[in-house]
Amino acid sequence: MFGEEDLVKSHRARAEIIGNIVMVAFGLLLARLWYLQIFQGKIFYQYSLENRLRKEIVKAPRGMVFSRNNELLIHNTPSFDAVIIPQYLTNRPEVLMKLSHVLEMSVDSIRVILQKNAGQARYRPVVIKRNVSRKEVAIIETESAKMPGVFIQQFISRSYTDLDIGGHLYGYISEISTQMLPKLRRRDEVFYKLGDFIGHAGLEEQFDTELRGEDGHQYMEVDASGRVRRALASTIFKDIENRPFNPGLNVRLTVDRDLQIAAYKALEGKVGSAVAVDVNTGEILAMVSRPSYDPSQFSTGISSSYWGELTSDENNPLRDRAIQEHYPPGSTFKTLTMVAALEEGMIDASTEINCPGHFSFGKRKFHCWKKGGHGKVDMYRALRESCDVFFYKIATRLDMDILAKYAFLFGLGHKTGISLPREISGLIPTKEWKAKRNGMEWQLGETLSCVIGQSYILTTPIQLAMFYAAIANGGKLFRPYIIKEMFSNAGEIVKRGEPQIMSQIEVKPETLSIVKKGLFQVVNTPAGTAYWSRGQGIQMAGKTGTSQIARISAEKIYAKCEEREYKLRHHALFAAFAPHDDPKIAVAVIVEHGCHGSTAAAPVARDVITTYLEKYYPDLRHQIMIAEKVVNPKSSRAISPITPDAGMDTSGRIRNLSDDEE
Amino acid sequence: MNFSGFINSLRRYDFSFFGISAVIFLIGIINLYSATHATAQADVSSLFRAQIGWYLISLVIGVSISFIQPKNFYRVAYFLYLGTILLLILTLVMGQIGMGARRWLAFGVLRFQPSELMKLFVVLGLARYFAKENPDRELGLKELIIPAFFTLIPALLIIAQPDLGTGLLILLVSFSLCFYRKLKLKTLLILGIIGLLTAGGMYKFGLREYQKKRITTFIDPETDLKGSGYNAVQSKIAIGSGQFFGKGFNKSSQASFNYLPENHTDFAFSVFNEEHGFFGALILISFYVILFYRFLWLASNVTRIFESVVAVGLMSILFWHTFINMGMVMGLLPIVGIPLPYVSYGGTSLLTFGIACGIVTSISNARNLF
Repeated sequence: MFGEEDLVKSHRARAEIIGNIVMVAFGLLLARLWYLQIFQGKIFYQYSLENRLRKEIVKAPRGMVFSRNNELLIHNTPSFDAVIIPQYLTNRPEVLMKLSHVLEMSVDSIRVILQKNAGQARYRPVVIKRNVSRKEVAIIETESAKMPGVFIQQFISRSYTDLDIGGHLYGYISEISTQMLPKLRRRDEVFYKLGDFIGHAGLEEQFDTELRGEDGHQYMEVDASGRVRRALASTIFKDIENRPFNPGLNVRLTVDRDLQIAAYKALEGKVGSAVAVDVNTGEILAMVSRPSYDPSQFSTGISSSYWGELTSDENNPLRDRAIQEHYPPGSTFKTLTMVAALEEGMIDASTEINCPGHFSFGKRKFHCWKKGGHGKVDMYRALRESCDVFFYKIATRLDMDILAKYAFLFGLGHKTGISLPREISGLIPTKEWKAKRNGMEWQLGETLSCVIGQSYILTTPIQLAMFYAAIANGGKLFRPYIIKEMFSNAGEIVKRGEPQIMSQIEVKPETLSIVKKGLFQVVNTPAGTAYWSRGQGIQMAGKTGTSQIARISAEKIYAKCEEREYKLRHHALFAAFAPHDDPKIAVAVIVEHGCHGSTAAAPVARDVITTYLEKYYPDLRHQIMIAEKVVNPKSSRAISPITPDAGMDTSGRIRNLSDDEE
Repeated sequence: MNFSGFINSLRRYDFSFFGISAVIFLIGIINLYSATHATAQADVSSLFRAQIGWYLISLVIGVSISFIQPKNFYRVAYFLYLGTILLLILTLVMGQIGMGARRWLAFGVLRFQPSELMKLFVVLGLARYFAKENPDRELGLKELIIPAFFTLIPALLIIAQPDLGTGLLILLVSFSLCFYRKLKLKTLLILGIIGLLTAGGMYKFGLREYQKKRITTFIDPETDLKGSGYNAVQSKIAIGSGQFFGKGFNKSSQASFNYLPENHTDFAFSVFNEEHGFFGALILISFYVILFYRFLWLASNVTRIFESVVAVGLMSILFWHTFINMGMVMGLLPIVGIPLPYVSYGGTSLLTFGIACGIVTSISNARNLF
């Protein structure tokens, strides 16, 4: 064994070999450099001056969107942009002068645009004017030799057939900004480029990956002024291959275009939303929110005036009120309380209470919406005429957590899981939730407010629609969906949307039939709160709701809603399904500050349902019409409407049980 | 340590490693300025400042390490090696995805790539193993079984991320170590044949299309495997157009028109060649060669076999980075994301090289300490 120092020395031969390898390696690299820089240097120098190779992105067309009946809802329209590629812009003043004549823009405004984009790479086109006319295209193309650096570029804009109708559901696309790009690259595995468009909101955002497809690229040899010379042939570029684009998938929605239009029209002049769903599948048939916006405006670069209009509107047209806003459900929630009470065996057909118009609880007085009271009330009348006192009495014996349990069963308090961005979950309070929230114990008085859909309870319109659909279809809670199928341009179906039952709700069939009967009476008996909006030949069953949003002192409780300041008026709600004995469709409607569910919201549902049954079940509707005439020959106009002035259904007056409401 | 002791240690301090690398960094940072100033892809001054910041951090860490006694590297070698293996496993399980691969591990705000550390610690681990197990015997196939495990475990974990470049780099580094530790020529031949066959087989059958694509898209998101020829061609045009003296500082047309992808990271050397030509490249390469020879000189002039193997190992890390990066931008080697030491933009690689310099400086300082 020799000393360690000798051991190291014995490795010197290897160290020398490694030294020689290093030398040979760098010698090889230098030889290669010599070949490239000295031997071929002149050729490469020429190439680099002329930049003869240009890579052009070939945009993949974005998928088209169709209604359930194959009407084209969203498509692409080609248009032309006049652009300047600064790299090729020689003789700048003269070219800008010429261009300003052609485009009828001032030289200064062109300069400003160029200035704005001065930071980006010089080979990147700067759009001077979007959507130029055919005449302008022709002039620029023929005069191209005199305007080096000016090019015509095809641009594909997104067109939405029905403009504002359904804007929220569809969403919009817009160009990715320089600031956004790095974030997106980190977030997704899709590789975005500058100049790419990306979906925002609605299905454009949700299904962006599927819709966008994959861009291709091709290489062009161009001359010193950037004009394309010929297809690529040079041997120096032999390694390079073009890549064709891969078009995006097309989408067929579950949505019916006529229903969209009907719902949108019915909400004319109102702030609110409507959701219609197929009760037997969970397919969304219509979903609109107002005020809306025109998604077409975004893909061509939204004008600042339109953007300003959208953002300054205090009703926030960009928010989808069907899934991104929640409201106290008001009396539409009584249906749920009724289910809970029946299931827990608290009431039955023989239950009868007396409604004097108010209910004393401890020191406090809870009011019924009807001044003077309803008198004797059984469970059908309680739903039909929306008697608050009946439900207050239930509340004294109903544990909040039990009520919450039933609410959760019917999908309230959780997102429905619809494939659309930024759905919110609403709120169903429990004792535990309250203890966590502010460390306070649940007050029995709060249950009194909750049973009539006030206090902490919040639901989204889509939750209400799914809840009423579950009542209608015998307890099946569906996951709502909007995509029927996705298919390639060749017609091959790649993905299919299938009905998905989230849960089969375990409630007795009698419970549901009692509730359904009550809901039918709401609309179809003269004393029912929605009788005035019952329509013809649709046999609707539903529940009105009016949710109070501001605290109101006792003496103002019975004041006319319409005389209040707009912001203090009640929200109007209506949730329904039809026909009542063989339900096909469920609809939920909310009209913000609409005062009365019966007059503001119910007619919207009526219009949507009428349109639907007329279109898909004309025979059934015809039979119903005949039956209605036989049963009730005087039909609809016989009884004059209960005027909204009478203060219909203003339940849930008492939001908080603070002492100042005594 | 008292004051005179500190002065003494400074007198013994070997400034060559940090010195030469500082010169290369200086060339690199000037090149970085030129490579980024004309593009709008990122805030130029922030890249520039970040690179200087990272360099200073790597200098502080490297110099601190240079004051550690070399025997301590021996002591902690296995511990560091095993710890980093665990981190690599953790990365695969819960690492952050970036550019389609799972490479980053995050601790709060701190994000780092364990694969970078692995390069260093595979050297320390193998060096300790070689110092302990029959350091006087030549290496045949039998002696290579355990070192093979030492190498393949981290290499495969890194390739699985997938990061083929770094994984192969670890294989090359550990091969270099074995060669220095007297690998028998016969064994070398056998290894060479096995290596060629595996590489050929893997490319042909082992990698699926999307894997091939992923590896290449790491470098440039816009390309696929075939399209990567575009980068190679543009890089060749850039280098070739520099001719003998180059176009001059800040005059790179390929870079400023953004024809070169990643011109501040993997393709920094192309920009350098376009602007400074063959002449500039010759000077830059000379500095690298001087640095590598200094490592080799140290390897032959220490008293412990562990230190000697570490010096060769660390040199090989730097050498393979340099060789592969230069080879790939010249179109001699396929394009894999390997940065050029001290010239390419990137904080983690600067840290790795800083630590490497710290370790060899420590070894060099301890040389005359008896």
